[in-house]
Amino acid sequence: MKRVITGNQAVAYGVILSRVDVISAYPITPQTTIVEELSELIASGRLKTRFLKVESEHSAMAALIGASTGGVRTFTATSSHGLAYMHEMLHWASGARLPIVLVNVNRALGAPWNIWGDQSDSLSQRDTGWIQLYCENNQEVLDTIVQAYRIAERVKLPVMVVLDAFVLSHTSEPVEVPSMEEVDSFLPPFCPDYPIDTQEPRAYSVITTPEYFLEFRYKVQKAMEEVPEVSKKVDDEFRSRFGRGYGAIERYGKEEAEVVLVTSGTVTSTSRMVIRKLNEEGWSVAGLKIKRFRPFPSEEIYRAIKGAKKLAVIDRNLSAGVGGIFAQELRAALYPKEERLPVFGFVSGLGGRDITPELIEEAIQYTVEHPRPEEEILWLGLKK
Amino acid sequence: MSKQLTFKSASEMPMISVSLGDMEWNKTGAWRTQRPFYEDKTPPCSAACPAGNDIVAFIQKIAKEDFEGAWNIIKEENPFPGVCGRVCFHPCESKCNRGPFDEPIAIHALERFVADFGSCLSRKTGKAGEKRKEKVAIIGSGPAGMSCAFHLARLHYDVTVFESFSLAGGMLRMGIPSYRLPKDILNREISDIEALGVEIRTGVSLGEDLRLEDLKDYQAVFISTGAHRSRGLRIPGEKEKGVLSGLDLLKKINLSKRVKLGDKIAVIGGGNTAMDVARSVIRLGKKATILYRRSREEMPAFEDEILEALEEGVKIRYLVNPIRVGQKDGLKRLECLRMELSEKDESGRRRPVPIPNSNLFIDSDHVVIAAGEEIEASFLPEGLEKKEGIILTRRDGSAGIKGVFAGGDLTSNQRTVAHAIGSGKKAAMAIDCFFKGKDGEEVIIQHLIGEGPSLSIFGYLHPGERLRNSHVVTFEELNMDYFEPAKRQGESKSAVKERIKGFKEVSSTLSEGVALDEAERCFSCGTCNECENCYVFCPDGSILKREELFPHQVDYDYCKGCGICFTECPRGAISLQGEAK
Repeated sequence: MKRVITGNQAVAYGVILSRVDVISAYPITPQTTIVEELSELIASGRLKTRFLKVESEHSAMAALIGASTGGVRTFTATSSHGLAYMHEMLHWASGARLPIVLVNVNRALGAPWNIWGDQSDSLSQRDTGWIQLYCENNQEVLDTIVQAYRIAERVKLPVMVVLDAFVLSHTSEPVEVPSMEEVDSFLPPFCPDYPIDTQEPRAYSVITTPEYFLEFRYKVQKAMEEVPEVSKKVDDEFRSRFGRGYGAIERYGKEEAEVVLVTSGTVTSTSRMVIRKLNEEGWSVAGLKIKRFRPFPSEEIYRAIKGAKKLAVIDRNLSAGVGGIFAQELRAALYPKEERLPVFGFVSGLGGRDITPELIEEAIQYTVEHPRPEEEILWLGLKK
Repeated sequence: MSKQLTFKSASEMPMISVSLGDMEWNKTGAWRTQRPFYEDKTPPCSAACPAGNDIVAFIQKIAKEDFEGAWNIIKEENPFPGVCGRVCFHPCESKCNRGPFDEPIAIHALERFVADFGSCLSRKTGKAGEKRKEKVAIIGSGPAGMSCAFHLARLHYDVTVFESFSLAGGMLRMGIPSYRLPKDILNREISDIEALGVEIRTGVSLGEDLRLEDLKDYQAVFISTGAHRSRGLRIPGEKEKGVLSGLDLLKKINLSKRVKLGDKIAVIGGGNTAMDVARSVIRLGKKATILYRRSREEMPAFEDEILEALEEGVKIRYLVNPIRVGQKDGLKRLECLRMELSEKDESGRRRPVPIPNSNLFIDSDHVVIAAGEEIEASFLPEGLEKKEGIILTRRDGSAGIKGVFAGGDLTSNQRTVAHAIGSGKKAAMAIDCFFKGKDGEEVIIQHLIGEGPSLSIFGYLHPGERLRNSHVVTFEELNMDYFEPAKRQGESKSAVKERIKGFKEVSSTLSEGVALDEAERCFSCGTCNECENCYVFCPDGSILKREELFPHQVDYDYCKGCGICFTECPRGAISLQGEAK
């Protein structure tokens, strides 16, 4: 059934359809309406899910770690400072191999105070051992949540589903909402490997000496390495059942283009429009959307940019001292390859400023006109 | 013994760090720098009990609904639980650690409950078996003498008690009115002592009928003749007709209850005897006015006694001091001076001084002097040393003549039933030591409860059992996280209009349910009651439940010495000491 819903409502539908057992969350803009929607359904008795009220995001994640260890499907949502507050528990969740799904509505971190979108919150958590999936529109949000549980429970790693503040979270779009039966047939119940059993008591995540710690981290990495194949299978099956799929990346625009513009999140939708227009005008430019940031889809990207001469990356984030994080990751991914394309690292739209078609066109034009970037960070729309 | 699991490769390892075996191979006890151990300590109630009752032990038995067990524990130390549960001034309750928390445990009411429950049992106080050859004479059948007789009989001695009066019991029988201590309770506890084989010869007075030389058959003598002589006021007219001694009047009332008295009675004194006299007079349908030369605050009578006397209609006039007993129109006319309080005297109370020219007159049918009692020394054998109104004894109760011991009111100014019971017990231990050639004083020091002077004969008779460190547990040493405030459950009293109709007992024995609730309130200071907090809290599972000397033991193979058990023990029954290096 098609509904006109916000991104946050799409999250809530995804959670309901995934038959989550336990939700624990703490309110923070722009995430709040997700758990508001869910908690109201629970309070009215229409949704049979346990909602654990907690005093912080740190506790929310800690509570889910307990619940997930107990063998049930869990969910939380947060943003910005809330995600930062969860930080140490995020490491714990992945180390304990718990398939928790978290929605992060991208929002800038203070100071100064800001409630609008950029990716500095989720990208700060890139080394916590979580799978990260970035969404472009509300349909993708709903679908990604359902897929996230399949992937998480298969590889035993937590998944962070990311969407842009306000542009998705509070903006309504038509979304196809699948039926419960359809989702049930796609997403089987969660079966933990080491369930809590009073007849067979266990200690979990106890202190592990240097003798074995490295091996446990090796296993986390091995699980991450399974993700490309697993998520592809999941996505393919999803596509065959629901008619929609996303891939880890998506290339669009002119084939065999000289310049490839790399984006993530909602900037991609604007870029699609700009590139269509430029292609019509004869520009040799294509677009590349990165959906899966962790594990980073190096191979998929490498295949997708074959034949290109330059890469332009628009980062809605900043790792001060280096630059945009997607650009950084791309450079690192391309370094071992024979063709080390120049990467033009644009930084724009921090703290929720719009990345307009004009700015995107400016970035493409700069890339076309310059053999190499003149600066490591190319600021887009900066008031100099 | 388990073994440490080892893995040669990552593929052998589980996905997560999860226990696949146990850790028994890892004897973490080697890490320990301090060692917890179970060690019962002395509760403040027992240390404060002049009779040496093991209070926590019997209350914990009540809490477990083992009333017979409670009865047996009390009877180890004290043959008079029914008496003490009613008339003891319960210093145990003043020291109860529950006091600073909410209200002290109603220990006396629990003791009485056990005593009265015990009376329903087929009591196991039968004869003490084969008697030893040594014979002991006890002079005076009050609480001191009967306590001594009880313990000596349990030690298998042949005991004869000589009593000047026709019935045994001493001051318990003659000095305490039956609305506080019914005679059947007293008779029951005395006959329990007789059942042990103790012979009581009544109507035999020391001095008149019996001299020390007549007791050659007895290798030891315990003198406990009490303090029965009324202390006079030394004022003109006090020897005249119509002026009575408080104790004499109480004796008459206690023995016959048919005493001819006028309507208005003036009672002089502020102690328990004065209260007993006034309340008895009220019960005979007369009016009683107590005259006391100090104020309410300085009154030596127990607070409950004063309150009950006032409830029953006794008038108390404070700060009046009689100076002469005269006559007018067939009535006694007391001439008094008003007093005021000045500086504190050596007793710590403010000294009353007369206000000049404040003379007033109080008319009554009788004047009763209840200003204290003193010992009658005239009939005592030569060789006993008397000082400041009492017979001097050594720490073991020995009294200067070989084989002669003394106790009770005769040897102490702390004239309470509990002190008398304690002194009789002490003498029994000393006499046993005397016969066995042991140093009685040394033995008594070894068996003090806490710092003393309370004494345990259980420890003497059962060395190694129910051991306690002499340290008296303070409130600060308890862990109040584990206790909830709970109202004290005392006995109920009958209505005043019922009380004054006669000599029926004022208060009633606790019901079983109330006694259980009250016993539940006991902190069990310093005494493990198997609450299992240590067992629950030990992070290493190193508390073993064993039915040996202590209910629990520490498994030192694994105990790391973290001290959590010590901290979380609600009652200070676990100690912690550094490990020897």
